[in-house]
Amino acid sequence: MTTHTHAYKDPVLTLNGVSMSFNNELVLRDINAQILDITRPKMHQGQVVGFYGRSGIGKSVLCRIMAGLIPPSAGTVEVGLAQQPARPGMVGFVQQRYPLFDHRTLYDNLLVAAERKHAPEVARQHVESYLERFCLAPHHKKYPAHLSGGQRQRAAIAQQLLCSEHLILLDEPFSGLDVAMIDEVKRIIVEVTTMDELNTVIIVSHDIVTTTALADRLWLLGYEHDAAGALVPGATISPQHQYNLAEMGLAWHENVEAEPEFGQFVEHIKNEIRVSA
Amino acid sequence: MKTLFAPNAQPPRLLFTTMVAGQVALLLLVWLFYPMQLFPSLGEVFRSLGDLITTQGLIQELWASMTTALQALAIATVLALGISYLTALPFFRPIAYAASKMRYLTLTGLTFFMALMVSSGHQVKLSVLIFGATVYLVTGMTSVILTTTQEEMDHARTLGMGEWRSFWEVVVLGKLDEMLEVVRQNFAIIWTMITLVETLYQSEGGIGLLLYKQNRYLHLDGVLAIQLVILATGAAQDYVFVLLRRVFFPYSSLGTA
Ligand SMILES: Nc1ncnc2c1ncn2[C@@H]1O[C@H](COP(=O)(O)OP(=O)(O)O)[C@@H](O)[C@H]1O
Repeated sequence: MTTHTHAYKDPVLTLNGVSMSFNNELVLRDINAQILDITRPKMHQGQVVGFYGRSGIGKSVLCRIMAGLIPPSAGTVEVGLAQQPARPGMVGFVQQRYPLFDHRTLYDNLLVAAERKHAPEVARQHVESYLERFCLAPHHKKYPAHLSGGQRQRAAIAQQLLCSEHLILLDEPFSGLDVAMIDEVKRIIVEVTTMDELNTVIIVSHDIVTTTALADRLWLLGYEHDAAGALVPGATISPQHQYNLAEMGLAWHENVEAEPEFGQFVEHIKNEIRVSA
Repeated sequence: MKTLFAPNAQPPRLLFTTMVAGQVALLLLVWLFYPMQLFPSLGEVFRSLGDLITTQGLIQELWASMTTALQALAIATVLALGISYLTALPFFRPIAYAASKMRYLTLTGLTFFMALMVSSGHQVKLSVLIFGATVYLVTGMTSVILTTTQEEMDHARTLGMGEWRSFWEVVVLGKLDEMLEVVRQNFAIIWTMITLVETLYQSEGGIGLLLYKQNRYLHLDGVLAIQLVILATGAAQDYVFVLLRRVFFPYSSLGTA
């Protein structure tokens, strides 16, 4: 167990008392969480944070709120170093099935995203460098239907990165993938964090092991019990369900899943989930 | 050989072509050697076809009907696309709904009504066809638009596209290939309508009138010959649409021809 030195700087995303209900049914209740920009001496690296919740708890709803696609019923979401209210386009949001525009070639998919933020000539240069970086250059003329699963994931992530402000949100990035594909996605996530010190990947998933292995902070979505022991409606993040994996010495290890401390922590989390979720 | 009778099997191309050729040959042989009492024989149909071409101007009439059909289809497509896209705005939703329900209006009544409104015979024919095709196209096109998912729209929005731009990208550009497919499928309806309209409004001629005359004088061989010509034209048109789709929308999986 090695704890790497690190320091926290400005917030990059803040959830302030976020609640969401549909037709008087409370799905999310008073969620508070703050993602801070993390720095490590002599390291040029962004970060990965994770939100865990079991299926149906409201993860996709939380994603859409963080991406600015729907306003929460109550509370605020603030994004970026300037901490502005979230609007669509500020946070890159990769949905579960890695959507791309099927009617555009890979190159055009990336270009249409890059042109949202840059002048045409600069956009083209960005696209070229992302194609190289994500090992997609040989496929730039293909349509999404002709890409392999892994290429599609890389393309969808690259597309979002090209027009977002360093923040990228992944909704269930590992669901329905085989082991080799999960490794591939993990590799892309690490790659994204090393591209820019400010890059922050937010993983929202029900895959506790994979998410914990990648993240330096973890939040558990669950239900609380009231004094009488009854379940309070609306999923939330209890104060004791916020974990700083960097401080616990579980972050940034090459093969953390093999460490006994990691196994113990995952067991602990699983117990917490059984009680609250 | 076994693959021909296994569900969903993909028989080799050569085998499949041979099979189709065999089936057609068998059909022709049956027709040739077992003439039914009422049904005209193959020879009679061919003789009649030659006769229709040389004396009745079948080719010219077919050409006239086809150009009218294409003209109507082009105008109807533009109209129907406009109406369907406007359904994005709640204000226009009732129009698309009403338009698609007008499929139930009968052509005969409509022709009479149109004849009162416009002067030339050609105009009547054209406007009835445009109307008829538009209502069918709107029905098909709005259902294509309704297949748009939340995920698709959100995807465009997360790239920072506004509502109009997202609509343009996802619904207009993203579904053009499916719109072409709707047009292809509804082209057959224009052919049904054109033969009917031409019999109702005879001053313009056309293949429909030719067919009507053959029917009236009980020239069954002539009727069959014309039907076969229409069938062949339709098949050729279908093929052209498939080609268009392949050229303009290479990403699109080909529909069944
Ligand atoms: N637009 C909506 N209208 C009504 N209910 C919704 C809507 N979106 C999500 N919900 C409800 O919110 C709950 C959480 O859904 P979701 O976020 O998809 O779960 P998860 O992603 O964690 O599996 C579900 O009970 C679902 O019915």
